[in-house]
Amino acid sequence: MSTTRRNTSQRLTLVILILASISAITLDYKGEASRGITSVRHAALDVVSPIQRVLSDVLHPIGDVVSGAVNYGRAVKENEQLRGQLGTLRRDVLQNETAEQQLQEVLNEEHLPYVQNLPTLVAEVISGSTSNFEDTFEIDRGTSSGIGDDMPVVAGPGLVGTVVSAGSSTSVVRAITDPGSSFGVRFGTPGSVAVAYGRGAGYPLDLSGVTADMSPHDGQIVYTSGIAGASLPAGIPVGKVSFVHYSGGALTKTVQVTSVADLQGLSYVTVLQWFPAP
Amino acid sequence: MSGRAWGRVAIVLLVTTIVQVGVLNGLVVDGAHPDAFLLLAIVAGLVAGSQRGAVVAFFVGLVADLFVLTPFGLSSLCYVLVAFGVGAVASLPAGRAPYGFRIVTAFTGGIAGSLLFDGIGALLGQPELPRHQLIVVVAVVAVANVVLVIPAAAAMTWALSADSAGRELATTSGGSAR
Repeated sequence: MSTTRRNTSQRLTLVILILASISAITLDYKGEASRGITSVRHAALDVVSPIQRVLSDVLHPIGDVVSGAVNYGRAVKENEQLRGQLGTLRRDVLQNETAEQQLQEVLNEEHLPYVQNLPTLVAEVISGSTSNFEDTFEIDRGTSSGIGDDMPVVAGPGLVGTVVSAGSSTSVVRAITDPGSSFGVRFGTPGSVAVAYGRGAGYPLDLSGVTADMSPHDGQIVYTSGIAGASLPAGIPVGKVSFVHYSGGALTKTVQVTSVADLQGLSYVTVLQWFPAP
Repeated sequence: MSGRAWGRVAIVLLVTTIVQVGVLNGLVVDGAHPDAFLLLAIVAGLVAGSQRGAVVAFFVGLVADLFVLTPFGLSSLCYVLVAFGVGAVASLPAGRAPYGFRIVTAFTGGIAGSLLFDGIGALLGQPELPRHQLIVVVAVVAVANVVLVIPAAAAMTWALSADSAGRELATTSGGSAR
């Protein structure tokens, strides 16, 4: 009797919890409630971001020290030269051989030819994605620094992602390789436009809509298209064509693009303060 | 559950959050990293049994959902199902062997939880991972669970031992509440 009652109670609890979870999912798809949930998410990120910064500062150099130990002497010498060139830029951080790598990364972000006249902000990557099912990372700048949702994020040679959730002091960036990422690109001759889709961290992007008359080739650079209504400004390098396949008679070609930026080892990125046209 | 037990669960959850976002997110193996939130849901089922374990797992999921872009409540739904299933298995006589059973459950729970998340996510229209990447995620999460299950179970046992009922359930499910 008591076992039956306990089983009934357990099942009832399970049903209630499942319904509560489904209710939360449903609310997240609704306008007002979704905004409320987003605000709570931003607040949570802002709360843990100081801890993330500390842990990032502590753990990141440890890994760099290990990799830089072999070339310690040379690294220190180059560090001194770079320090003179960059003045006060992150001077306090540059205490050991790990500084050489960090300094070079910041320097790279200061001279991005494709940025043109867009206002920019350099930000530090403080954490990777908490979920294994999305390819995102967190940066140490938010709305208080002028960052907003949908702003493009670049690093060194090209595009790495877009801001998808800007909190007051931190922001979440969706990498271009995230399976939920898609944007317009162009390559080769004028009119050769397609849509790039992410497939997951470490995987090349897929290009959709490459018709049989287009002629992408291995090594060709792919740029953001920037056509009317695009989610990204034109001319940002995205990647190089790494695979082209065409079955005779098919309407489209199978094309894959490998990112020009190293998405796995990001330390600093540049946020372009650009909003898509409404 | 008593207020004291909930307070301790909150502390364990806070520490788990810090460890996940501050440390484990950076331990990436081929694009995948350990999932401490899922592990906490599994040990909740192990230590507290299916009913109370599912309740704890629900709140673990809500916290986990604060740090991801997937729909709010998706992690809760998965964790509730995983914790309930683990609790049900742990209540069987074979589930009372303390360490071996916990390690096997953490491993299989990691596989089940990751696949469940991917499956329910797909039903909700979330983008799917390539199959190879899903295998990597499942493997990394399951192996990391094996490594971390003993301290995680100890933490959850400590949290729930503040509750007198928790002591009973922890004992029957192979826990070692003191």
